[in-house]
Amino acid sequence: MAVLQKKSMSFSLMGPLAASCLLLIALWAHEAVGLPITSHCKLDVSNFQRPYFTNRTFKLAEEASLADNNTDVRLIGDELFQGVNRQNRCYLMKQVLNFTLAEVLIPHSDRFQPYMQQVVPFLTKLSNQLSLCQIRGDGQHIQKNIQTLKETVKQLGESGEIKAIGELNLLFMHLRNYCV
Amino acid sequence: MCEFLQFPLLSSLHTERNIGCQTGTLATMMQKLYLLGFLTSFLISATDTQPTHGSLKPPKVQFQSRNFHNILRWQPGSALTGNGSVYFVQYKMYGQREWKNKTDCWGTTELFCDLTNETLDLYEPYYGRVMTAWAGSYSAWSRTPRFTPWWETKLDPPFVTTIQVNTSLLVLLRAPELPYRNQTGKNTSMENYYDLVYRVFITDNSLGKEQTAYEGTQRTVQIEGLTARSGYCVVAEIYQPMLGRKSPRSEQRCVQIP
Repeated sequence: MAVLQKKSMSFSLMGPLAASCLLLIALWAHEAVGLPITSHCKLDVSNFQRPYFTNRTFKLAEEASLADNNTDVRLIGDELFQGVNRQNRCYLMKQVLNFTLAEVLIPHSDRFQPYMQQVVPFLTKLSNQLSLCQIRGDGQHIQKNIQTLKETVKQLGESGEIKAIGELNLLFMHLRNYCV
Repeated sequence: MCEFLQFPLLSSLHTERNIGCQTGTLATMMQKLYLLGFLTSFLISATDTQPTHGSLKPPKVQFQSRNFHNILRWQPGSALTGNGSVYFVQYKMYGQREWKNKTDCWGTTELFCDLTNETLDLYEPYYGRVMTAWAGSYSAWSRTPRFTPWWETKLDPPFVTTIQVNTSLLVLLRAPELPYRNQTGKNTSMENYYDLVYRVFITDNSLGKEQTAYEGTQRTVQIEGLTARSGYCVVAEIYQPMLGRKSPRSEQRCVQIP
């Protein structure tokens, strides 16, 4: 909000001040401490309009969910979003996506074929598109929620990883919901 | 052989495990083998059931979903030859701890149960499960795979109405009705959940050739420049671009241009 005010001031011929503001903004951007200007937390809608990848992702989730007999525990659900405002939810999903790719999908890339080999590059692409996506404001809550998810997966061990694969459809839908 | 009996599955059965481990004749060895076989088969049949009537358990418990009307269906257990069995249905959202009883289907004799109102959130994953009671015995629960209505429901064809004005034809399209939602009470349409595309095909009866007359999101389509004294038939379908799926085709509407 403060930056917006400064920006509007720059229009009122306050040259030097505007320049210093820009410098400040650039510095902030560089240090990636809360970026209120452009958040980069955006995915193009076309990513979700390709039936091939949508179907593959859902199929992979379906296959894995058949191997998940723990119906009580859910990774991507209300608890994950608790206390996280809407503008930070894309960032939250980015963190879940990156965790899922690195800690779950890549280590299990030989399983659930042929879906896995088609879905991993697709999700990797989404992850790359979100590489500049940063948190807005205080991210304590978000980190805590993500930590809980990670710990749940770790605690459940192998079946936690299967569970994460079984929730790829939820990951997909929430990326679409919060990042497009 | 005695070590073999230490197999983890059997470790809870202390009494049986202690039988005859000291003896070593062939006959007792054979007896133990039979015992082991019996125990193993007993345990396999009992792994996910408390009562041991695995064959009572209703197989193929699954959701069938059309236009978001979500019906749980199952088959009678293989041990059930005649009538007299009743079924009990529970459901929950994935991630919830408690299963909820479906009171309308609690002790039903049918082989289906309408869970539309219990599975109204189209993006959420759900489970259903069924248990049988027959001749005083209860089966174990038999659970569905995880079910997400948005992904699994099959859309019916659109309703098509035609209005003929001189040499043009007005085609009115309507997506299938969604189940009534008493939670939101709002008038949502199928288009809110998928970016639906309507496809309209027209056949010139004298040529017998079908053409695509329209593909898009509008619900009203005007087809102009039809030839006088010719017959035309119109048919439509719904396409879901996100999923690359299409509905079956609608009924044909035929007109004669004067």
